[in-house]
Amino acid sequence: MNRRELLQCAALLVSGTAVTPGSWALSQAQSKYLSARAPYIETATADFFTDAQRAAVAAAADITIPITGTPGALDAGVPRFIELMVSDWLTDEERANFMGGLEDLQARAGGDFSALPAPKQLALLEALEDEAADAPWYQFANTLRTWDPEAPFICAFKELTVLGFMLSREGSREFLRPNPMGTFDGDIPLLATDSAYSKHTLLRAIARESS
Amino acid sequence: MEATDFDAIVVGSGISGGWAAKELTERGLKVLVLDRGRNIRHAVDYYGEHAQSYQEPYYGLPNRERDSREYFIQQNSYAFGETTLQYWNNDRLNPYVRTPDKPFNWMRADVVGGRSLLWGRQVYRWSEQDFTANRDDGSAVDWPVRYADIAPWYSHVEKFIGVSGQAEGLPQLPDSEFLPPMDYYALEKTAIARMKKKVPEIPITMGRVAILTQDHNGRAACHYCGPCQRGCSTGSYFSSQSSTLPAAEATGNMTLLPNRVVERLEHDECGRRVTGVLTVDTETGERQRFSARLVFLCASTLASTQILLNSASEQHPQGLANGSGVVGKYLMDHLALSHTGFFVDDADRYYLGDRPNGLYIPRFRNVGEQDQDANFLRGYGYQCLPLRPDWETTFNQRGFGADYKAQLAKPMPIWIWALRAFVECLPRASNRLYLHANKTDRFGIPQLVTEFTWSDNERNAALDSGVQAGRILRAAGAVSIDVTDSTENLDVGGDAIHEMGTVRMGRDPATSALNGFNQAHEVDNLFVTDGSFMTSASCVNPSLTYMAFTARACDYAVKQLQTANSA
Ligand SMILES: Cc1cc2nc3c(=O)[nH]c(=O)nc-3n(C[C@H](O)[C@H](O)[C@H](O)COP(=O)(O)OP(=O)(O)OC[C@H]3O[C@@H](n4cnc5c(N)ncnc54)[C@H](O)[C@@H]3O)c2cc1C
Repeated sequence: MNRRELLQCAALLVSGTAVTPGSWALSQAQSKYLSARAPYIETATADFFTDAQRAAVAAAADITIPITGTPGALDAGVPRFIELMVSDWLTDEERANFMGGLEDLQARAGGDFSALPAPKQLALLEALEDEAADAPWYQFANTLRTWDPEAPFICAFKELTVLGFMLSREGSREFLRPNPMGTFDGDIPLLATDSAYSKHTLLRAIARESS
Repeated sequence: MEATDFDAIVVGSGISGGWAAKELTERGLKVLVLDRGRNIRHAVDYYGEHAQSYQEPYYGLPNRERDSREYFIQQNSYAFGETTLQYWNNDRLNPYVRTPDKPFNWMRADVVGGRSLLWGRQVYRWSEQDFTANRDDGSAVDWPVRYADIAPWYSHVEKFIGVSGQAEGLPQLPDSEFLPPMDYYALEKTAIARMKKKVPEIPITMGRVAILTQDHNGRAACHYCGPCQRGCSTGSYFSSQSSTLPAAEATGNMTLLPNRVVERLEHDECGRRVTGVLTVDTETGERQRFSARLVFLCASTLASTQILLNSASEQHPQGLANGSGVVGKYLMDHLALSHTGFFVDDADRYYLGDRPNGLYIPRFRNVGEQDQDANFLRGYGYQCLPLRPDWETTFNQRGFGADYKAQLAKPMPIWIWALRAFVECLPRASNRLYLHANKTDRFGIPQLVTEFTWSDNERNAALDSGVQAGRILRAAGAVSIDVTDSTENLDVGGDAIHEMGTVRMGRDPATSALNGFNQAHEVDNLFVTDGSFMTSASCVNPSLTYMAFTARACDYAVKQLQTANSA
């Protein structure tokens, strides 16, 4: 999908998000539905990575989106999301690429990425980005395709980390913020300290090529 | 007269079937409503309503493997996803034949309520010019109906469903009975103010939607959560579940049977009356026949056409009510395409709540008479949506750590404004449906074959919509403009989900299947009131017009029954 298609698709959606504030009590019958469900990462199970791989993914996710004044990747269960997505959502080929990249990262780290001091970890990740710099993944706004099967490992990793963070309970509520429902006002100030609203629908999910 | 099971049978419970059920039961008829889909109860079954991203499997990322296997057609819709999955047709289980070089995407629901649960809720009246267009430019056949005939029925429907919008007094887009319009985004106010100065001839108004801006008929005003298509337990948008089916239910005259696919209709010896509606239970495969004095086909354009074609008999060799041969022909949709502008205005403005609506630029080309510079007939309107891009558009950057994280937090300092043109499509016999000679579905029903292509008229209008969108976006102050200026990658037929026209109405039984009251010329007790009756397509979203014609046809049919009774 090129930039134009992407932006046009993006614009198909009136942006915003939904959240259920306390006052919007769910009916008894409704409570069995999605909005009453525990987060996906708590309900799905994956036992796909080795302990060493799991530790490497956690360390790299922490470097990518650290805990600052707000929650980071580790607070939001990003490593678990990545393991679920790699084991269950990626295609066989994409999974093989990802696992190859992860093993390469481990090898560059002397076998255990997670054991390196943080500055060394960062240097390794940055080196991977330098090598991937020409990948189409980095082109402006090349983000709303469902997935880029050609993405180098470091790009696929970053994408899963960002999605796993921004769409998580912690990321969407404590880093981004829910758009309160109730009324509509299209003209309020955006303060310098305001973050974007979290999303009820991913643009990439509605941006499927229709023909 | 022979005893029947019911006074009337309505096939389909979507937008048109819900209306038929309501109008017929309120006039005292005992009505059976049949729907192939499973039941969806209002509110309690809206599985995806108010769900958060983190509650969805894969956080809402499309399930590519499942979708390409089970929903390879439906997955093209913006409204398709985990939170709406339960409403959509399973394309593997319910096949049709898509002709590769003449592709048509059959977008459909498979539940009680049909696409009334999923629809975009945009509602616009047709104008007098829409009804005279075929006559004036010599396309297809003339409509047997004029604006004045249908205007009271538009009012009747609008007062019940609740339509929010702004009265503008435009001849090409008559006003509805309005609830207050929705509020504007700052960017929209800026764009409108500039357009009023620079392109005052181009009208623009708040989108007209079947969404309540105040409490109405026992349904609550919109709470602006955003994705209506998941279902709305406060009944704030019009659906069969929130509105027409409860009204029909309240009369005590409705029997609703889900999971019944109508296979074909039977008729009497002379072929002038439907005597039986043959159904298959989708769960058990059991076949059952129902009878009634009146039959309303409201199964949606393609499905009703399939039923008529599959009801061929000795008296109706080309399909029931198809002596003219038009049934299955003149399939139309709208051709939708987007044009976008980028704005640096109002970057310091944001919003509260999620407005499930955009602005509307009504047709301004060939209004009244043909524009000198237009190389196409008819016209198009634009639905205009503002979008504030954020991390989802910018995360593919280099960097790690606190700085990378911090820049993901802020909305980008721009707005995108997308003008989505909906182009009128002319009726052509070559865009057609017919039954496959030997392929059948799991119930043994012959599969529908679809063939659809655009013509130069649609392509030229589409290109013109890009040129005019450029003019509008420049006037509105866009700093960068991206209009579609090629017809290479157009949507295919069906993508706008406004399919219509294959059982058209007209004055002459030789060239049309239905009369001006949606009654089959050849079968006295058969009415077809879904989109298949449409003789032309206009450029506005069609469902309001289906509702108005359905209500009018019900009124007419019941009066005919009463005359027959007293005779
Ligand atoms: C995402 C989306 C957005 C849309 N946006 C708009 C919009 O903004 N404005 C607008 O005007 N229109 C819009 N539409 C189109 C609108 O939904 C349709 O025009 C409308 O629903 C058609 O009404 P209908 O009664 O003919 O068909 P439907 O609402 O589809 O109902 C048909 C019913 O018949 C049942 N059925 C089908 N075959 C059989 C059979 N053989 N036997 C028994 N039952 C059967 C189906 O299960 C279904 O319940 C949109 C549609 C979608 C999907």
